[in-house]
Amino acid sequence: MSGQQSIDPRGPRFSAAITAVVLLVVIALALTGQSLVAVILLAAQAVVFGIGAFAGVQHHPYGLLYRRLVRPRLQPPVELEDPRPPTFAQGVGLFVVAVGLVLHLLGVPLALVIAAAAAFVAAFLNAVFDYCLGCQIYLLLVRSKVIKSA
Amino acid sequence: MTAALVLVGLVAFATVLGVIWRASQGRVHRARGHVDGIELGDRATLLQLSTEVCAPCRATARVLDGLSGDDVRHIEIDIADRPDLVSRFNILQTPTTLILDRDGIVQSRIGGAVRRELVARELEKV
Repeated sequence: MSGQQSIDPRGPRFSAAITAVVLLVVIALALTGQSLVAVILLAAQAVVFGIGAFAGVQHHPYGLLYRRLVRPRLQPPVELEDPRPPTFAQGVGLFVVAVGLVLHLLGVPLALVIAAAAAFVAAFLNAVFDYCLGCQIYLLLVRSKVIKSA
Repeated sequence: MTAALVLVGLVAFATVLGVIWRASQGRVHRARGHVDGIELGDRATLLQLSTEVCAPCRATARVLDGLSGDDVRHIEIDIADRPDLVSRFNILQTPTTLILDRDGIVQSRIGGAVRRELVARELEKV
């Protein structure tokens, strides 16, 4: 069982760290009355999620930063990983954030904050603890027969 | 300022979740049950239940492979191939490793990426 095109596992974690910071900024903006800026920033993050989800995590904008600025200063990776779980996780992030934006535009109070907070927890857990939310969701989908393993 | 409190609280909350999760990974739990339909090792079997898309499963497979030998067998199964095991043992994460004796009786289970020393210690008891 191996995935195609293995990637440096530190890339997605670096991206997750940047994502976590961006989401904290969104929350701060939303809670201090800067609603419009918060929406714009969260929408931009949604686009970033979308690029990662549909083009693959190899083309993730934050991953690009990692490859240009961080990786040259590091030793080559000890091992590589399957790009599918982090790619899937970007899709989860996109979904959560999109729902938050829609609910916000429909006037639901705190929708932005709650959605950003949920996405933040996932990004933070991945960046700091290497927790793979995409892997967990994938398993639950296989269990409930929504996905049949290839 | 409320915003600052919320941010600090959120980071603290996420940190607590992470620490609890980390601590639970690789822990050995007593378990019961029986596994059929596989070729058992002479003394013990390390049955790893994985999904295809699972980064920690690869690392665990390497560790368990390293611990296998003449009388200890390492078997990795995709849970999609054995949904009966998934419901019998209520598999909620992958990898989940079941340590079986020579008759396929479950001795213990480990959720998440395994820690080599703990598995080795369990194998001595089988």
